[in-house]
Amino acid sequence: MSQTATQPPVLSVEQIHVAYGSTAALHGISFEVHKGETVALIGANGAGKSTTLRAISGLLKLRSGAIRFEGRDIANQPPDKVVAAGIAHCPEERHVWPAMTVEENLNLGAFLCRSRAEREQRIGMAYHRFPRLRERARQLAGTLSGGEQQMLAIARALMSEPSLLMLDEPSLGLSPKMADEVFDVVRAINGHGVTVLLVEQNIYNALDVASRAYVVETGRTRAARPAAALRSDPELLRAYLGG
Amino acid sequence: MDLFLQFLTNGLINGAFYALSALGLTLIFGLMRVVNFAHGEMYMLGGVLGWFFTTHLGLNFFLSVALVAAVMAAFGLLIDRFLIERLRGEGEEPGILFTIGLSIFLANVTLLVVGPAPLKVAGAVPEGALFIGPIIVTKLRLMAVAVGIALMIATHALIRHTRLGQAMRATFQDPMAASLSGIRVARVHAATFALGCTLAALSGMLLASIYSAQASVGGLVSLKSFVVVILGGMGSFPGAVVGGLLLGVAESLWGGYVATGMVDVIGFVLVILILLFRPQGLFSSSSERA
Ligand SMILES: Nc1ncnc2c1ncn2[C@@H]1O[C@H](COP(=O)(O)OP(=O)(O)O)[C@@H](O)[C@H]1O
Ligand SMILES: [Mg+2]
Repeated sequence: MSQTATQPPVLSVEQIHVAYGSTAALHGISFEVHKGETVALIGANGAGKSTTLRAISGLLKLRSGAIRFEGRDIANQPPDKVVAAGIAHCPEERHVWPAMTVEENLNLGAFLCRSRAEREQRIGMAYHRFPRLRERARQLAGTLSGGEQQMLAIARALMSEPSLLMLDEPSLGLSPKMADEVFDVVRAINGHGVTVLLVEQNIYNALDVASRAYVVETGRTRAARPAAALRSDPELLRAYLGG
Repeated sequence: MDLFLQFLTNGLINGAFYALSALGLTLIFGLMRVVNFAHGEMYMLGGVLGWFFTTHLGLNFFLSVALVAAVMAAFGLLIDRFLIERLRGEGEEPGILFTIGLSIFLANVTLLVVGPAPLKVAGAVPEGALFIGPIIVTKLRLMAVAVGIALMIATHALIRHTRLGQAMRATFQDPMAASLSGIRVARVHAATFALGCTLAALSGMLLASIYSAQASVGGLVSLKSFVVVILGGMGSFPGAVVGGLLLGVAESLWGGYVATGMVDVIGFVLVILILLFRPQGLFSSSSERA
């Protein structure tokens, strides 16, 4: 259904099952992301969106299913291998290191990059993209506002120079104005050629940014639609999201 | 007054070793949330190994320091990799039970191998006193303290300025974020445990060059290290240093002016006071984490 359907997807997730201990959380999630796209996963709280991202980034092991990235099987790889492969995961609730400075946070985002000069160059690029972070370079991340922390979390994720950026609820807890800024940033990042997989509660914002969206419901992918179709079909949305 | 200065000096010297040992404990607790009851046995092993290398094999003191550090670091890595790793994420109780078991095991194996007698580590310098104004210090003590301070500075630099140190702080503050940045959290844990064991062992070796090493000393050392960590604040680097010096000075003054026989009690008096008036310790660990 996308114009790039002829090319193989950069990321394909096939029928993954994931459990927390003995409690199953995902019962078959499948979707594809093509190069240069912004794809959204939407769905009610507890549907399994964050769990899906955690499985891709290697924080959680699969019970079954397959994950392929750029043609390689990355299922059950440890997180450092997944980062090295080119996937960055910006987690829900930001998770910046509170007692480290903004600059230390950024520097550690490029932990796998051995060259100091290269890391510094990437930090320079982060400051260029997020001027407010440059002003706060020596400030402890824990003292930043929620919006600034979110910007830092995104900037840190970009420090590994991923080809696929996974964002989990980047607008959570932000004012509408801040949320708009965050989505502008996401558009700009995508504009620079980074493929984006976006998880959002704020459906209308998500559908605004994304070209396609998958609806996740109780651990399963229920529907894949062009974002525009979902946006213009409130009935469908309500049916899936129960809102 | 002169006597007071002498007691103070003695206290600061002992305190430096308490600090070094407690630094290891506070790192392991602060980062890994493992309450290491075998810490005193690591200290004891440092002394016994130090005796083995210097007195038994006749090796140079500084070479022996390096060997003890290498052996104990490897030992710590193995224990973490093969034993503590299995308990990760299971809460604190399994770790406590495990380290208590480990302490009993290590103490008794050592007793079996080298026996209960005190073992002397041959120091780097000959016996002999230095007079600094009214204060008398042996060269041996001065030397040992200098090495201890150098080790503390090196540890601080490691934590502040190296990639490993950054990875340790990141893992301590947010392990998930550390994983997602490509830090191998399991390795950071192993390195931390190894560092903690090494610091305890070197403290034990240095102090055994002044006094002596003994297989049975571990329990008391663990207790004193816990006292220092509680005084300073769990997981706090400056807290361990200040807490160690404080305990050393308090013991020395108590022993000098009040009662020699009950020196080991003073630490617990301090702990009770601190728990009553400042339960988070002198330095709360949130500001200057590890
Ligand atoms: N750390 C966890 N431990 C146990 N269960 C969890 C954990 N995180 C999420 N879950 C459960 O997994 C399911 C999916 O959660 P999640 O992926 O966080 O949903 P979403 O991100 O879509 O809101 C929910 O039932 C949730 O309760
Ligand atoms: Mg979520």
